[in-house]
Amino acid sequence: MKIAVYTFIGLLLLLVESSLLSFIPLEIFKPDLGIPFIIYTSLFLGPQAGIIATLFIGFMQEGLSAAPHGSILFVNIAIFLITIFLKRKLYIDSKYSFAFVCSGFVVLESFLFITLSLLARGEADNVLNILFYTIPNAVFTGFIAIFIFSFIEYLNVRYLERE
Amino acid sequence: MKNSIAIIIAILILIISFFAFTNTPLVVRGYSTFKSGFSETIGPMLKLITKPTDLVRYIFGSYVNLMGAKRENAELKRRLDMLLLENQKIPELERENKRLMALLRFMEKNPKSLIAARVIGEDLKNWYKCIIIDKGSGSNIKEKMPVITPRGVVGQAVEVDRWHSKVMVINDTNSSVDVSAEGKNTRGLLEGTGQTVLKLKYVLKTDDIEIGDKLLTSGKDGIYPKGLPAGIVITVNRNKPGIFADIDIMPFSNFKHLEEVLVIKQQ
Repeated sequence: MKIAVYTFIGLLLLLVESSLLSFIPLEIFKPDLGIPFIIYTSLFLGPQAGIIATLFIGFMQEGLSAAPHGSILFVNIAIFLITIFLKRKLYIDSKYSFAFVCSGFVVLESFLFITLSLLARGEADNVLNILFYTIPNAVFTGFIAIFIFSFIEYLNVRYLERE
Repeated sequence: MKNSIAIIIAILILIISFFAFTNTPLVVRGYSTFKSGFSETIGPMLKLITKPTDLVRYIFGSYVNLMGAKRENAELKRRLDMLLLENQKIPELERENKRLMALLRFMEKNPKSLIAARVIGEDLKNWYKCIIIDKGSGSNIKEKMPVITPRGVVGQAVEVDRWHSKVMVINDTNSSVDVSAEGKNTRGLLEGTGQTVLKLKYVLKTDDIEIGDKLLTSGKDGIYPKGLPAGIVITVNRNKPGIFADIDIMPFSNFKHLEEVLVIKQQ
């Protein structure tokens, strides 16, 4: 139940981000709303829930982006695997530490994307463009992750812990 | 055990997505089919989401208008002075009139070749400059069809699903348009930088191009028809090393505020 609810909220937020943010002048600060959900489900609900959320969010992001086939899914799966392997190393005790981890993973996502482009195609046309947006995206994603974490925790306490 | 299976599945998908990225024929075909199937379910949802966001758009727009009213007033006064000056530039206006007449003739000549579409979303990543329009293969839109507004070129359709299409905007880093300067023989490639300002490449330092020159599509790239306005030259730097000049172009369309676009059907 939890995984269905979290994934649905994640997908809804991605749709809203694509349609709503198109007219709000926030081009430099564009949060990656998929990462907080991938990290939360992978860390707190386990690898099975994590892979389901990652797949849905990855395909949704690919559907709403002009990025090359497979690139976003690859990066999201890599983030899922890194999260699983770092599970015992990552200590998340508050919404702020969660936000910090999310920001870190947005930076990692950019570097993974550049590495993938260089390895697979031998070139990365938009390296400078990606690097230009990395820090603003990470900061803004961290900021939004605070609210996402609080909202999920509220849902847990109010409705979902009864399961 | 179940956790191990999840990790194995993840590694398998990681490998598949890597091969899809590298355009391995067998993988990319299956991947595209699956992805377009998933995207087809997104289309109606995106349209549904756009309805309430129209209200938010209206409220946000009204608020911004109110906040900017004073500034806009001063701006309008300044523009009035500029327009009075511009009135003296009749020959230039005549040339512009000719260009617009050509565009109008193009539209009148091919009334069935234009499809009006509404912008319903934009790329989730700011690494790519892409907009999503509410017309897809159901409206006879195909890949590589040029997308314009009455002000100028917007981009080309790159992915088409039944309900919606993705349009790569000309300021995307993967975009390039063959253009020529209006009334001159100078030609070059207009390339996206990922930012608002575009670059005009492969124009020799000795070529006749100046600040303020208007660029039109040359029709030689096989995608955009000839004569569509693309942008205006804002800087020309001939002092950099090499044989080509460094030229910055400002596009005519503001891609952040697009609401409706026209897709040119290929004959």
